[in-house]
Amino acid sequence: MSPRLLRLTPVVAALVLAGCASVAPDGQRSAVTAHTAGSLPAGSQLADPAPQARAAARAQVAAWLQQPVDADTAVRIALLNSPALEAQVAALGVQDAQRVQALTLPNPTLTLGRFVNAQEREIERQLSFGLVSLITLPWRARWQGWQLEQATLTTAQQVLLHAADTRRAWLRAVAAQQQLQTAQTLHEAAAAGGELARRMARVGNFSKLEQAQELRVQQEAAANLARSRLNAALEREQLARLMGLWGAQADFVLPATLPPLPAAAALRAGDDAEATALRERLDLRALRRELDTTAERNGFARVGAVFGDVGASYSRNTSTERASGHDDITRGWELELPLPLFDWGGAASAGARSALQRNAAQLRETALRARSEARSHWLRYRTAYDLAQQQQTEAVPLARFLQDEAVYRYNGMFISVWQLLAQARSTAQAVATATEAQRDFWLADVDLQLALTGTSPGTPPSPVTPSAAPAATTEAGH
Amino acid sequence: MQRRSFFTGAATAVAAASVSRVAMAALPEPVIQASADTAEPLTPPNGRPYHPVVTLNGWTCPWRMNAGVKEFHLVAEPVVREVAPGFFVNMWGYNGQSPGPTIEVVEGDRVRIFVTNRLPEHTTVHWHGQRLPNGMDGVAGLNQPAIPPGKTFVYEFEARRPGTFMYHPHADEMVQMAMGMMGLWITHPKARHPLIAEVQRDYAFLLAAYAVEPGAATPRVNEMTDFNIWTFNSRAFPAISPLVAKQGDRVRIRVGNLTMTNHPIHLHGHEFEVTGTDGGPVPLTARWPEVTTDVAVGQMRQLELVADAPGDWSLHCHKSHHTMGAMGHGVPTMIGVDHQGLVGKIQKIVPDYMLMGERGMGDMGSMQMPLPDNTFPMMTGQGPFGNIEMGGMFTTFKVRSQLGANDYRDPGWYRHPKGTVAYEWQGAPLDAQAPRQTAPGTAPGAASVHKPESLPPAAGHAH
Repeated sequence: MSPRLLRLTPVVAALVLAGCASVAPDGQRSAVTAHTAGSLPAGSQLADPAPQARAAARAQVAAWLQQPVDADTAVRIALLNSPALEAQVAALGVQDAQRVQALTLPNPTLTLGRFVNAQEREIERQLSFGLVSLITLPWRARWQGWQLEQATLTTAQQVLLHAADTRRAWLRAVAAQQQLQTAQTLHEAAAAGGELARRMARVGNFSKLEQAQELRVQQEAAANLARSRLNAALEREQLARLMGLWGAQADFVLPATLPPLPAAAALRAGDDAEATALRERLDLRALRRELDTTAERNGFARVGAVFGDVGASYSRNTSTERASGHDDITRGWELELPLPLFDWGGAASAGARSALQRNAAQLRETALRARSEARSHWLRYRTAYDLAQQQQTEAVPLARFLQDEAVYRYNGMFISVWQLLAQARSTAQAVATATEAQRDFWLADVDLQLALTGTSPGTPPSPVTPSAAPAATTEAGH
Repeated sequence: MQRRSFFTGAATAVAAASVSRVAMAALPEPVIQASADTAEPLTPPNGRPYHPVVTLNGWTCPWRMNAGVKEFHLVAEPVVREVAPGFFVNMWGYNGQSPGPTIEVVEGDRVRIFVTNRLPEHTTVHWHGQRLPNGMDGVAGLNQPAIPPGKTFVYEFEARRPGTFMYHPHADEMVQMAMGMMGLWITHPKARHPLIAEVQRDYAFLLAAYAVEPGAATPRVNEMTDFNIWTFNSRAFPAISPLVAKQGDRVRIRVGNLTMTNHPIHLHGHEFEVTGTDGGPVPLTARWPEVTTDVAVGQMRQLELVADAPGDWSLHCHKSHHTMGAMGHGVPTMIGVDHQGLVGKIQKIVPDYMLMGERGMGDMGSMQMPLPDNTFPMMTGQGPFGNIEMGGMFTTFKVRSQLGANDYRDPGWYRHPKGTVAYEWQGAPLDAQAPRQTAPGTAPGAASVHKPESLPPAAGHAH
């Protein structure tokens, strides 16, 4: 290769690069999917706005909705169907297009002029070209690539957050549905107790006061049922929104119960939580990319600031003497160089340096948060498991035991049927509390997954406040 | 001070259990009773002769003669009493049981009683109704220092008056009597007594009440009124032995009351006279016939009758709750309450729920439903015609013509002569148009003085 050709290499490379920069046909969805693959249920895909793909997605969602929607399917539907998520992914496509636009070389300028005076007619042709964009193209291509990757990572985080939100909403909706069942049973029992009290009063075995006391229980149960209904409807609505469902599709069926607690041996160990988070979290990777970009810009900042826009132009001017018709052609090139007289690039350089520092600090801060979140969410996860396990293996059996004993005491006429019902309500409450604990474990599981491999699960849940146990409603027997 | 030693009981119990054998060597061997059955009457092997009593579900304390003195040995200790089959109560008693053994002596006997304390706290014995030196009366602090755990004290006095008496602690007695510490003391007359008849059968028992939570085994010693276990000699029907008599026997029944309320003791089929109290024999002129006598708190009554009517006759406390086993005293009455359509709804939340009490509580006697562990059922007594529907201070007085003089065994159910049992009317049924009380909850013709507004409906908004 001749030396002349070698000198031309960067220019050629830049031209090649510039030529290659094209908009990704799928709006970077596959890049996003690559980042999220490990954290999403198998078969998850993002919405494709192409009309055929849309129709296929609609059919797929409809097929999924034929069955009770489990948590994974809810996430799949949400990814495929949620307009909110689609908007976020589309924004990435916009960014990609902007990148490609930025990498496209500016068109050369052709200046034509025709000037006439008494003696001469001058025709001026000038082809000028901003050199800077050409010279900096390789760098800019690299930065833009990084920036796109960073944007892709950010979008991937959005996808994961949306999936996590959907999963949380699913857990809440199923749990609320379970609580509604409990509330219905409780209300039915309280209504039976209230009716029995009414009949007691009718035949003179209860005073109005005693009847009223049982009536109050019934009213409380009815109010609680109304609240449970509302809660179940709202939680379901939230899930439907995240899954992008409306109309007839919003009548999807949920499983009757939450998934069972995993065996203790299947729980995630906490010893490598921090390392995993530092290695895999997408927000950290995005910040690292940003830091790379800023670091390189830092080196370039002064030069760029001092030299501004270097322009090159080639002129071919023709002067024609009007009298003689003699043409005089002038050819030449022109290089436009700003002089670093006032701005020596100090400000730009300082700014870039600060930006670098800012990004480095942001990365450190995020790493710190990732470590802390990995630890605290693992602790929450583990404690939520222990609490749920305790509720299931200790509290609920204890409540059942209490109820059995209450039945024995009722059998022996030591307590009344209303005291028996009160104990049964307390047992049902224990089951409801256990369901809540089970839900909380799975919620903590979602947060932990996100904290370890995705991004920050958002506002950390408020610190645990040990709540007083609900007051026992049973009266002691005689 | 009492409280403190009560709570440090565990440590002192160990000390009490290790009473020195050397120290015991000079003591009469205490006789420990393992069974709650009624023991054969103890015919006196030595000393002045007498006609022994039968302690219902108890026994008489053997003694030894020591230089003309009758020596007994009572050991105060924690015991587990079988109050009814399968129902055990942690009590404090004497010599293995509560009540303790009956002490039987003869008027004029010199009596020496060794009392060993194996309780976790101090105790004394008060000899209820005895004439004795003030220092032998057994009131802790007043007459003597209390007997510390692990120690043995000696009481010695002369049994001066014939009659029916008892013994019980007079130290922390609130706790100790609530835990069952009591026993009978019978002083027989040394010769024929104008006011004390010769009898062929002589029965004795003490009334005691306990508060035992269903499913628990230790009485609540702080209870003042709401007892649920009503006993003759710490046994509850159907576990109380019957009183057996040969037709024509003169029978004496000695009843003492160590509960916190009075008990009208009622005998069926016979009339009796109260012939004595713990104050002594009642003068003939002061006696009148009765079928029920009220035994007030801390009192003893001697009833006497001629068992001339054969059959199985009830003998019971006439307070109807006292012939019931454990039950909840606050449970509302369910009689006449329509349960239609509600049982299934209640069973949705309590699958094992069964309707009870709608027609009264008589069904309880025949229902076999699981109760808390170690719980004495409300009414389980079975008779030849079905449920007796009682439990507690109830037993039978069984008079038979064919019975040996010293035969105290349960002769089984009475065989009624033909035509002597109530029978079903086979004639025309009651006219359906016969007048009848109106429906419950409405008083016919009564003016309504105060008509409270009806209650608001329950929460229709949830539907």
